[in-house]
Amino acid sequence: MSSLPDGDRIASTVAQWTLTNREYTDRQADEAWRRDELQWGVFGISDRWVGDPDGLDVVELGCGTAYESAWFARRGARPVGIDPTPAQLATARRLQQETGLEFPLVEAAAEDVPLPDASFDLALSEYGASLWADPERWVAEASRLLRPGGRLLFLTMSTLAHLCTPDVDEEPIANRLVRAQFAAWETTWEGYGGAEFHLSHGDWIRLLTSNGFRIDGLHELQAPEGAESHPYYYVIPAGWARRWPGEDLWECTKR
Amino acid sequence: MHEEVDTIAANVAEWTETNEQHTDASAEKAWAHPGILWGVFAIPEEQVGALPEELAGLDVVELGCGTAYFGAWLAKRGAKVTGVDPTPAQLETARRMMEQTGLRFDLVEAPGEAVPLPDASYDLALSEYGASLWADPYKWVPEAARLLRRGGRLVFLTNATLVYLTAPMDPDAQVGVELLRPMFDMYRIQWDGETGIEYHLAHGQWIKLLRENGFEIEALHELRPQPGAVDPSYYDFVTVEWAEKWPAEEIWVARKRA
Repeated sequence: MSSLPDGDRIASTVAQWTLTNREYTDRQADEAWRRDELQWGVFGISDRWVGDPDGLDVVELGCGTAYESAWFARRGARPVGIDPTPAQLATARRLQQETGLEFPLVEAAAEDVPLPDASFDLALSEYGASLWADPERWVAEASRLLRPGGRLLFLTMSTLAHLCTPDVDEEPIANRLVRAQFAAWETTWEGYGGAEFHLSHGDWIRLLTSNGFRIDGLHELQAPEGAESHPYYYVIPAGWARRWPGEDLWECTKR
Repeated sequence: MHEEVDTIAANVAEWTETNEQHTDASAEKAWAHPGILWGVFAIPEEQVGALPEELAGLDVVELGCGTAYFGAWLAKRGAKVTGVDPTPAQLETARRMMEQTGLRFDLVEAPGEAVPLPDASYDLALSEYGASLWADPYKWVPEAARLLRRGGRLVFLTNATLVYLTAPMDPDAQVGVELLRPMFDMYRIQWDGETGIEYHLAHGQWIKLLRENGFEIEALHELRPQPGAVDPSYYDFVTVEWAEKWPAEEIWVARKRA
């Protein structure tokens, strides 16, 4: 489905996340690493899907500064963070030194993960591979990495939010469909590096089931009452996300 | 309980009227169609692949069969069909078609919410704009699960969530691009001036409900009109132009756990 050659696309995504790390994720990592609870998405929704993390082998696909992996490490899981952006992994290593919390970090794209088959109990991605990697390939990789009975949890922008995202840079989404759903998954934005992948729910279900996953849930997340729009990831306004899901969290089990 | 009785009666009244206006007159043509077609853009099953490949010999229950043309298409292919519908007028039309065509199968007058048929006796439960849109999903999905054998399939077509979100309250107006109502806690809606009550769930709600009733999710087919499709003439809530961009209809395929 990819329109850019893989190498160019991934290099462009790495360039974008190098910039984003300089602008935001590096300075925000201290707070994110020290969070007591596992939170999902731009509205910080408390986790209710992971269950007991103790003793789990966890792979985070597109870990960025690895704050989710850090949460798992603190709670007795054995996380491995995968990300293609060296700058974000450098931030993650800085936080590892500051906190004394050590776990493996691997510089790789989720399309091609240099780790052995059937070696994880949980694969997760929060705005990582779930949005920035070629779905045909990262979902196959997640399936390969998981043991039978292992789970895949990933969060990405909701299909509906994508359909309502204007082309104009820095304009938040509105209450209006502005792009077709029957369209290529790969989306690039003017003035913004990298490519995002946006699938319909039907396409996600086809891709997940054909890679040996059972669909356990699609959690269409609602911003909590009183939520405020995110200061940096402002594209989904809190008021919108009170009425429509800005983010989809998929929960699956490898057969 | 009063509420349940009222919604079923309301939908029987709605469909008695619709049968007078449209479905009785269109039954002959629908029954005679050689193919299996899905939805208002008449998309051939060969293009969708929602049904089991081999239909011969399957025990099929159609929940909200209306004039039973879909059941007739399956019966012609050797399925053993039972059509269930709460509207006597539509079942009368179905019986007339059976006499005309000689193609006979069982018809039962009942709503999708409470089906007077035995447990674990069907291989396929089907609904095409039947129970899927007009019965309470929190009642008809458990009924479908009860009626199916282990490993049996549930296949149903209904309006896509985007239609629910963008349809004006005026039932004569067409879907647009504005999101007119929230998506959280979707359940049912009565369009302005309509007698009947429709039920709509978001995808996450469907998945949760199906899983809770022992189904595995196999597919969600979001339908797109074929090249050369024409605007629907009676169910004209949507145009080809709109449906080329966004799914107006969706088919869920789920399998009862073995």
